Amino acid sequence: MALLSMKNINKSFFGKMANNQVCFDLEPGEIHALLGENGAGKTTLMNILYGIYSRDSGDILWKGKEAAFSSPRDAIAFHIGMVHQHFMLVPTLTVSQNITLGLREKGYPFPNRKTLNATITEVSKKYGLQIDVDAYISSLSVGEQQRVEIIKLLYRDAELLILDEPTAMLTPQETEYFFEVLRKLRADGHSVIIITHRIPEVMSITDRVTVLRDGYNVLTAKTSEITEQELSQYMIGRQLHSIHREPILPDVDSEGLVLEEVSLKENGRERLDLPSLRIAPGEIVGIAGVDGNGQKDLVEVILGIRKQSSGKIRMDNVDMSSMSVLKRKKLGIGYISDDRQRDGLVMDMNLTDNILLKTHTDDRFIKHGLIDDRLVWEDTQKAVEEYAIKTPGLNTPLRYLSGGNQQKLILARELAGDPKAIVAHQPTRGLDIGATEFVQQQLLQRRSKGCCILLISADLEEILLLSDRIAVIYKGRIMGIFPNTEDLNLSNIGLMMAGRTPDVREGSL
Amino acid sequence: MKQYGNFLSFLGIAVLTLAISILLILMVGSNVNQAFFSFLSGIFGSFYSVSEVLVKATPLILTGLGVAVGARSGFINIGAEGQLYMGAIAVTCLAFWLHDLPAIVMIPMVILGGFVFGGVWSVIPGFLKARFGISEVITTLMFNYIAIGIVGILVRTMLKDPSSSLPMSAFLPDSATLPVLMSTTRLHAGLLIALISVVLVWILVWKTPIGYEMRAVGLNPRACKCSGISVYKNILRSSMISGGLAGIAGVCEVSGLHHKLLEGISPGYGYIAIIIALLGKNHPVGVVIAALGIAALQLGSLGMQRMAGVPTSISSIIMGVVVLLILARKSIFRRLLTDE
Repeated sequence: MALLSMKNINKSFFGKMANNQVCFDLEPGEIHALLGENGAGKTTLMNILYGIYSRDSGDILWKGKEAAFSSPRDAIAFHIGMVHQHFMLVPTLTVSQNITLGLREKGYPFPNRKTLNATITEVSKKYGLQIDVDAYISSLSVGEQQRVEIIKLLYRDAELLILDEPTAMLTPQETEYFFEVLRKLRADGHSVIIITHRIPEVMSITDRVTVLRDGYNVLTAKTSEITEQELSQYMIGRQLHSIHREPILPDVDSEGLVLEEVSLKENGRERLDLPSLRIAPGEIVGIAGVDGNGQKDLVEVILGIRKQSSGKIRMDNVDMSSMSVLKRKKLGIGYISDDRQRDGLVMDMNLTDNILLKTHTDDRFIKHGLIDDRLVWEDTQKAVEEYAIKTPGLNTPLRYLSGGNQQKLILARELAGDPKAIVAHQPTRGLDIGATEFVQQQLLQRRSKGCCILLISADLEEILLLSDRIAVIYKGRIMGIFPNTEDLNLSNIGLMMAGRTPDVREGSL
Repeated sequence: MKQYGNFLSFLGIAVLTLAISILLILMVGSNVNQAFFSFLSGIFGSFYSVSEVLVKATPLILTGLGVAVGARSGFINIGAEGQLYMGAIAVTCLAFWLHDLPAIVMIPMVILGGFVFGGVWSVIPGFLKARFGISEVITTLMFNYIAIGIVGILVRTMLKDPSSSLPMSAFLPDSATLPVLMSTTRLHAGLLIALISVVLVWILVWKTPIGYEMRAVGLNPRACKCSGISVYKNILRSSMISGGLAGIAGVCEVSGLHHKLLEGISPGYGYIAIIIALLGKNHPVGVVIAALGIAALQLGSLGMQRMAGVPTSISSIIMGVVVLLILARKSIFRRLLTDE
């Protein structure tokens, strides 16, 4: 008998079906992947199970009994636990306090921390989830925080663990270690659902896989009976465009974007310490690394949002080390931030106003000291057509556009006026496959026009797909730079992402 | 459903407000019909009563506009009251100091002076916020007490009228008084100054690059920083303009209405201004409508007190109720406003 079965689940948001007659079932003691593109409805389905959303129709059976949880608290009471993509931990509390948070342990409100710690340590040892119970969450790495989340669920006797994109922030080595933990959990009779869009992971760890596409359940199969190619076709519904990179342009006269031994120190902490790096015109340099290793510092120093402690930054022989952000942008630097809603857009302003964020001081839009609304409107209209931005109108606040269309607006703004260099930080984060391809094509087009491009991404596949050279960043330092060739040693890159220097160095600066 | 929902929810607020007013009137033992009649006649009863609404609305428009400009760029100005008093000090000092100037020079001079005094009174908290992250809510509020205190000292010492025993200044020279717009009323040119300010602020905030920056900073300072718009500069700018407008309100009250400086020239205009900015959705036109509405409410309730014996305190209660209802509108009328 299935442990869990969800039958004909329907859920719509604002008239759009996020789940359409989705069926899903889970055997006891299996690792089951829920595979699909962004927006395919995976997380929605699991949020319905977990009691965060209510379903429009359909049945949920848990251990053969009708079950519909109205809140995560209900779900946990029935031994179902979920780890969200963004962890729900209190950074100022210790591991042990986070794990017991909200529970009324014996002796509440003054529980005996020592006995609690002993229980937690027992759980963590059993599954190889090593953790220091007295450490503060703020001092832990992402991988360690994930362990805390899992221990938290196990401590609450979860039989089913739902993990939303659990490997998104992990290095290849951490991922391997994490899989080891999952196998132990399975051996112990736990069931696991992994929400993911990474096919290789599905192949290496899961027993069965369910593929969702556009809210429909398109396949449920045993992982051993299906190939990667088949899975990707089910997931995407068509063949992926393979991206073809033209050979790099012959060196032109211009110097390109040059970082000269840039470093950044803040509050006594060294955040960046980089060797000299030159991005030639028509070259894409990819920065690989686990999120939070100085990538944000790097882009903000290049843009002038933060001031480097030492070193120089030049663009085509112009020293812009002490220029303001606006001057650098006018010099021809386009910036695609990793957090478009916070850094790149004013969500409550409309399309024209968001285009103005960069151009409001441009002479061509100003007549007698006033902004000429008609010219701005025409400019925005052109951008909307050129980049195929789907919007009800130019007056729509950005808040009501989809992530992909928001990102297209940023591209339209930042790529306008043929920038000499583009700093693209996670430019495809959270986008669906179509928008991702669009962004990547745009970057390649700019490359062939002789733009210097710095691409920073936590997604190694994206780096491999687009970059001419790959640099690995760890704790604000560059661990190595390689030309992106066929015989690139991926495991070395993985090791460097985790901060270790491989014995054999390959490539050269 | 949604379009109607918005309309219905406001209708609901009106009905609720009306019901509460009737309840209050009944509670104090007055006749509801008579109370409403006297309320309306307090506003529209005569040419004079209408002009009084406009007199009352003048400082409310200016201070409300000031608070709204600040709010647009994220500067929560609770200090319009103090800034108004600083403007009043400015006009009094300038008028006595430059008493020989003709009106054509004097009037622009005192308006500018009031703008600068009020602006400085607000730009200090603005600087503290932009530079050190100190909450302007606290500092602007504290600055009110200081400004009112300074007025109290001045009207008893340096600016005191020697020929009077009361704590107030002498009458301003004629060149520093604003002309009355219509004889037999108290309606003065301050109303024109207020309306011109409304137009200027609208152009500044919605049509110029500077105004664009101020609005953008108010909505997402982080994105502005990433685009090279200085958050610091814009907070200083908007706090200066915000306080300056409240300062002009002080100028208008002194040179248009009282013609001298005295304590209590503002019965809390600077605080009502916060409500006006809120009701007017921080838009210049909305501010004018809200200011007229509140001025009418206050004068109407005066009429009610005179003719029907209903205490004027009722107008403050109603103002409080309306603000609460509007703030809670989306939760109270959730059914009407969502799709379901």
